[in-house]
Amino acid sequence: MKFFFPDSQDLVDPSFDFLTEKRSETRIRQQHDEYPHEVFATPPYDGMLVSKGIVDGTGSDGGRYTIAQRQRLLRQGVRSFFRLEGRPIETMGDCGAFSYVKERRPPFSVQEVIDFYANCGFDYGLSVDHIILAFQPGLDETLSGLDVVPEEWRERQRITLELAEEFLRLHRDQRCRFVPVGIAQGWSPRSYAEAFGELQQMGYRYIALGGMVPLKTPEILSCLKAVDKVRRPETQIHLLGVTRIDHIPRFSRLGVVSFDSTSPLRQAFKDEKDNYYTLDRTYCAIRVPQVDGNPKLRRRIASGAVDQAEARRLEQACLGVLNGFDGGRCTADEALAAIQSYEGLHDERSNRAKAYREILSDQPWKRCPCEICRRIGIHVMLFRGAERNRRRGFHNLYVFHQRVQRESEGSPARGRRVGTV
Amino acid sequence: MTHKGRNGSARAKDATKEFRLPAIEVRQGPSRTLYSFAVDGKLLSRFTTVSRVRRADGAAIRGYQRPEVLSHIAEIRDYLEAGDPMIPNAVVVAFDRRVRFEPGAASGSEGRGYSRVGSLVIPLDPDLAEADRPGWIVDGQQRIAAIREAEIESFPICVVAFVTDDEQEQREQFILVNSTKPLPKGLIYELLPNTRAKLPSLLQGRRFPALLVDRLNHDAGSPLRGLIKTPTVGDGLIKDNSVLKMLENSLTDGVLYRFQAGDREGEADVEAMLGVLHAFWRAAAEVFRDAWGISPRRSRLMHGAGIVSVGFVMDAIADRYRRHGVPGEEQFRRDLEPLREACRWTDGYWDFGPGIQRKWNEIQNTPRDIQLLSNYLLVQYKARVWNRAAEENLLAH
Repeated sequence: MKFFFPDSQDLVDPSFDFLTEKRSETRIRQQHDEYPHEVFATPPYDGMLVSKGIVDGTGSDGGRYTIAQRQRLLRQGVRSFFRLEGRPIETMGDCGAFSYVKERRPPFSVQEVIDFYANCGFDYGLSVDHIILAFQPGLDETLSGLDVVPEEWRERQRITLELAEEFLRLHRDQRCRFVPVGIAQGWSPRSYAEAFGELQQMGYRYIALGGMVPLKTPEILSCLKAVDKVRRPETQIHLLGVTRIDHIPRFSRLGVVSFDSTSPLRQAFKDEKDNYYTLDRTYCAIRVPQVDGNPKLRRRIASGAVDQAEARRLEQACLGVLNGFDGGRCTADEALAAIQSYEGLHDERSNRAKAYREILSDQPWKRCPCEICRRIGIHVMLFRGAERNRRRGFHNLYVFHQRVQRESEGSPARGRRVGTV
Repeated sequence: MTHKGRNGSARAKDATKEFRLPAIEVRQGPSRTLYSFAVDGKLLSRFTTVSRVRRADGAAIRGYQRPEVLSHIAEIRDYLEAGDPMIPNAVVVAFDRRVRFEPGAASGSEGRGYSRVGSLVIPLDPDLAEADRPGWIVDGQQRIAAIREAEIESFPICVVAFVTDDEQEQREQFILVNSTKPLPKGLIYELLPNTRAKLPSLLQGRRFPALLVDRLNHDAGSPLRGLIKTPTVGDGLIKDNSVLKMLENSLTDGVLYRFQAGDREGEADVEAMLGVLHAFWRAAAEVFRDAWGISPRRSRLMHGAGIVSVGFVMDAIADRYRRHGVPGEEQFRRDLEPLREACRWTDGYWDFGPGIQRKWNEIQNTPRDIQLLSNYLLVQYKARVWNRAAEENLLAH
């Protein structure tokens, strides 16, 4: 099973100094920064998914790319821009349908999207789609001919299929070199299967199932089973944005060959508690927010409710004692006390003592063989600023990829630590 | 409004519990007296504090200072630690009446009556709560915080002080010193190239592009000579900021990046950069000669969007020739020529694709329009030159 990592300009600055928190003054964003595939000796994914929505920016969102970066991507192509040359990583282009989910129609023309894929030199290009944000399997039970399906859903499915047909036609006419991937959108197992069948009829042999991000695993499986009834043996499936690692073998038997997900990265700094992955569990990261980087704390300081000097003192004490703990100079109790004094100031409602005690006694980063953990030690566990949080995300990708490979091989390797000696 | 416990009765009696600092007393008006002195910035926190703005129990506003801006402090701190720093502007402190001035023996003979030298006597009590210190910082809290945190032994700083028990007066001075108009950016950029000291990182990053602008605007043989409008070149046509943006784009993501050489600003090959810039803009001036050298109101080429977008074409052409080094003027000219008929710098309509037409002068200097125009030029360049050449190459082999 291939894992594609969606790009969102997630890089780390190798010049960042974790003790002084300074970086090189001459650092140039992206050019001097590192992607996960540059940090690890073995890339932690099989492919990268690059979305036109993120490269261009849409409406209110100015996009994560500067105009200069975007132009360079278009001139030099995706392999050069992401520094993939000589690496076994495939590239897939996408429209980023979530960025325009509220519009009536996708904001790009099919030709524009084809130009984007062709100019960038992607290996695969996904057709232009329009997400249906609803799942109502019950509608499959109603009698045919009854108009119970909301018009908007049918309209979105129709738009997606029409654009997919035009996409394939232009792809053929212009002799594009990327592999076209159709996208099926639906609201129930049967509607997905119908869209899938039509795409197959048009000539697609690689089809992605879209809009499944909010679905529960049994719902995804029900769709895959319905699709399997119309699927030709040679037609392959990509699951857009779906991460269900435990079900990889089942997905695989139902024709799924690839999927993409940002969740290993995002969980590192978005999740309430599952921030740091190991092969068999997750840990909560230790919150040490920057005094001037935490909006809530900043508001309380600005209003005079919290004394800034005191906040700085507790923050610095926390960092000092955690460094000391990692170097064997402080005890876990001292570390915990410092963390809790600061927590009382920046997040008085939470008490993560139990989770933190567990982290400090398990010290999972000391047992992790990945480049990030070996290089920055306990800093990988700190929930603090993009440089630490993204590195933890990279570590998660590393662990995640190992799990994907383990599940894909179907070997019952549960509990075994891959990579440790 | 007076501060609690600051009625002047707590005068220090013990000589070891006071600072005596040489100072000049200046009478600025019938009721205005200032004191000027120098003190080690590291010691300031022993007799001054910052009056943070807040709401006391009910609704009444107290204090006036915002919190420290940590990023700003870090910049000043870096400057202080970089070696041989200087902070010539004085910090402003408001003392309460516990602080007194003692004229020196020689005073009176100098200063024409408005100033005299002597000593400022500041009570010092380590047991005092922070809020009860005799001095309040009215201006300079970020500088003082930076001196306090910097890893330097000491740093004498000039202080100008006035004595008042009135918070309202402090607040007035706080507003006055903090509401000055910032310098125009263009003036700063024009001065930048002729500085060497460590500057705040934003300016530090602009110094090199500003140097290139300066050279482009003044070097003999530069196609942009005298064309860039700056505070001292008032009749220039192209805004300095447009050229800066064009240069910055190329320095981070285009052909100029190749000459950045490693990680150090000092090693950048300025002459090689100017060589490429001269060659390209000379070619552009020739190919688009009808639109060149006239006011941006009459030509979108001389306008921000035009300069920045055409800058991206420079980077595209350089990328096409990448394997053969850097293109010269003739190669730039040949590659630009086919774009001439796709451009509408001075009249007509730009055809940005189905349903997107823009009158020549409707292109604005906004990120959106710059992206639209840049994409268009890149697509045109790829179609008319790059891909065509690649196909011919393929056929030839």
